[in-house]
Amino acid sequence: VRRLAALAVGFVFGLTLSWSGMTDPDVLRDGLLFKDFYLFGFFLSALVTAFVGLRLLKVLRARAVLTGEPVSWTAVAPERRHVVGSLLFGTGWAVADACPGPIAAQLGQGVFWSVATAAGLVFGVWLFLRRAGTVAA
Amino acid sequence: VHQQLAWYVGGPVLGLCVVALRWLLNERLGATGAWSNAVEKLSSPGVRLDTRGWLLIGLLLGGIVFGIFGSGLDGYGWLTETFTGGARWVVVPVLVVAGALIGYGAKVAGGCTSGNGLSGNAVLSPASLVATATFFGTAIAVSFAIEALT
Repeated sequence: VRRLAALAVGFVFGLTLSWSGMTDPDVLRDGLLFKDFYLFGFFLSALVTAFVGLRLLKVLRARAVLTGEPVSWTAVAPERRHVVGSLLFGTGWAVADACPGPIAAQLGQGVFWSVATAAGLVFGVWLFLRRAGTVAA
Repeated sequence: VHQQLAWYVGGPVLGLCVVALRWLLNERLGATGAWSNAVEKLSSPGVRLDTRGWLLIGLLLGGIVFGIFGSGLDGYGWLTETFTGGARWVVVPVLVVAGALIGYGAKVAGGCTSGNGLSGNAVLSPASLVATATFFGTAIAVSFAIEALT
């Protein structure tokens, strides 16, 4: 059931990203060049909704429906890696005009070019896990 | 794009996905973690797909359904406009390198646009605020640089 729940949320996430044009490189690019407000309107309204929703869960002392544990999270202090990683990520994001969620949705849509982006993404993640010792060579 | 959802509809639905995953499973929604789980599974046979991996399958399915009902892409943005004719193949290595930067960078930073940008900022995690300011700033600068060069 937990996996099905994650699958359902992922499905809505992927469909919404696609429907909003986040899988269209031109929409991303026009947003980043400030030619079109869409990207920032989309991102900020998502953020505000998530903020309000999570606050509500906290205030209501909600328990997770499928696990029974109290809903909780921890704040993370900024470190060098957050800046360094985001510099690399931001560069790749602007070149490919897609980030990990939309890349998965593009693959689903059958966008030919996304196979190349996804291959690079898998290699990048693998390289990190390999260096961190999470996976073997 | 023919059937683009209004941003004030799509954005809140996306935000509700973050809330739903927290409320159902007490988990942070992040696409990089989803990919990471799949890579762990492929690299070590003992690892099972957990909820993160299933989130990735959901993302793919969402794309498939849109691919059936929605409009497809014509080319791929600035890349296919810049590298035309015999130079078209250049797009592939450029995307592979960009993808590797995205994957490696997001893992180092502990999240991407969804994990840090939405889930992390929504709980006002300082690391996520720093990461988001950095990657948005970088992406805007790189986009303007590409615009100037092409």
